[in-house]
Amino acid sequence: MTLPLDSIKARVLGAFAVALVLHGIGTALIPGYSAPFAIRAMLVIASLLAVASIGQTLVVILGGIDLSIPFVIGFANVVAAQLYGQGWHFGLVCAVVFGLAALIGAFNGALSRGLNLHPLIVTLGVGMVVQGLVLIWTKGFPSGSAPKAVSGFVSIGGSFGPLPVPALIPTLLVLTVLIVLVLERTPYGRRLYALGSNPGAAPYALINPLRIWTVTFAASAVFAAMAGVLLLGFTGSAYGDVGQPYLFQTIAAVVVGGTALVGGRGSFIGTIAGVLVLTEINTLLIGLNFSPASVQAAFGAIILLLVSIYGRERHFRTTV
Amino acid sequence: MTRIFGRYGFAIGILVVLLIANLVMNPARFAPGNWPTLLGLAAPLIGAALASTPVILAGRGGIDISVGPVMGLVSAVVIKVLYLDAGLASPFILWPAALLIGAAIGAFNGAMATVVRVQPIVATLGTYLILGGLTLTILPAPIGPAPDWLKAMAGAWSFLPLGLIAALWWALCRTPFHDQLMAVGSDDRAAYTAGVPVSLTRFLAYVLTGLLAGAAGMMLTALIGSADPKVGANYTLIAIAAVALGGVSLAGGRGGLLGAAIGAVDIFLLQSLLTAFNVSTYVLQVAYGTILVVAVVLIALQDRSTKRSHA
Repeated sequence: MTLPLDSIKARVLGAFAVALVLHGIGTALIPGYSAPFAIRAMLVIASLLAVASIGQTLVVILGGIDLSIPFVIGFANVVAAQLYGQGWHFGLVCAVVFGLAALIGAFNGALSRGLNLHPLIVTLGVGMVVQGLVLIWTKGFPSGSAPKAVSGFVSIGGSFGPLPVPALIPTLLVLTVLIVLVLERTPYGRRLYALGSNPGAAPYALINPLRIWTVTFAASAVFAAMAGVLLLGFTGSAYGDVGQPYLFQTIAAVVVGGTALVGGRGSFIGTIAGVLVLTEINTLLIGLNFSPASVQAAFGAIILLLVSIYGRERHFRTTV
Repeated sequence: MTRIFGRYGFAIGILVVLLIANLVMNPARFAPGNWPTLLGLAAPLIGAALASTPVILAGRGGIDISVGPVMGLVSAVVIKVLYLDAGLASPFILWPAALLIGAAIGAFNGAMATVVRVQPIVATLGTYLILGGLTLTILPAPIGPAPDWLKAMAGAWSFLPLGLIAALWWALCRTPFHDQLMAVGSDDRAAYTAGVPVSLTRFLAYVLTGLLAGAAGMMLTALIGSADPKVGANYTLIAIAAVALGGVSLAGGRGGLLGAAIGAVDIFLLQSLLTAFNVSTYVLQVAYGTILVVAVVLIALQDRSTKRSHA
């Protein structure tokens, strides 16, 4: 059973291969599937999901889970639009939104770790409170819009210098390199993996669990807020529930990318592969004229199929 | 008795406070004559919370987020396919059908989690999406009505389904299954070396969860008196919140159906109290989230102090 297939690298390569195969199927079945505009659209949609999934990846490596991501996305989306609409400078808007998001995330992490609570419940509860407060503040009718710069940054038709893609794509590439470097080459990254793989032993290696959890959940919320602001540019107007599809999609992307939910294993490159797979599946099914209901059902079936093929856990017997 | 109170003390405390507040604020609605109706109103949430509990008790990340969509699918199949299209109206056909659908989906989830060994949250997420899509395909828009005997189960007869579940759990607690479930949930490796059939026990927990979700689907159908493809999924997360509020450890092995039911009743009472104050649903949502976080914090603090006093 200990074939190389068990390794993380094989899972990540497998996920990339699946994305390629899906793209091949799409190109064969649907005219225009590989047209430049279609590719650009897919890249933008995938990048938005990738930004939202950064935090989930970090938190899952740590052995946690963050259900507050969709709520923080909606919070950032609405608050940024609202403040910008009131005439604030956009830099200040971002500082306020990301700062508040970091506080929300830090609270999630510190509370979960400090009192040993399940992060699922904490992040869900905090997320509900955040969304409720935003709804109270806007009375359910958010207003305002995104500055032109943000819309251009994520626009499918946009370009970045000589590149025919919006600036979001190269930015995500840089971000990806940075995150991989942080995970693999910094003390923080080593601590994250160490704490995720053995929460009991890590403190003996002088790792402060509370600090790592606080920082990681704060980072997760900041990336979610970033996704929320980018989505504001993408859709043009504020919508409090814009983050809801991202609740399960970020988890699915992380898992399809080979990161184990038990913690200690995984990589952001894997998540990128997972994001590509999910985007290909979605585009393919919609392109094949499935109804939204069947797209959803097929999406679920394909996630199950993929994870059964290469996302299997070891039998607990082997851990005795 | 003191152990039960210790574990559920907080949830029971909230229950008493909320009940008194509700009785004072809204005496007409909470008059004893209305209790069956109130129970019928609370029943889908109680059912969903009860359903979510067995897999959580089984531990190692056990969770079933497909409970809500199972309720939706059961509602759609029972009303649209069996009652309106096929003309089957007897409770002795519709109830077994609902339970069978639930148990079959539970068995599928259980096989994914224990045989294929996909992480439970991912396995049931897949099921969640499949069932949601399937329900919308069977039933694109709400349809009704439900048979009269089923509607009565949200009124005068509302205690019947919940009473039967209570009896079932009471009986299960007297079989080795309950002890094995708790053993597997607290430490599966120790349970395995002690000869407990760990995978089988976990699998059965998923089947039980599915079965109870099927029953919760019937309670939901009874309450709304029709079938609506969109309401089921909403119950998933709030049910897990109720379970946590009721003192069931999400790490497995501690708690029980009674706690989950108390947690669900707490949430229901909070809901009706805030509605009586005429606050907006937004405030309601903030209150939910706050109570949930505060409750798990207090339960954790209480656990900590109990541990300290034993040490």
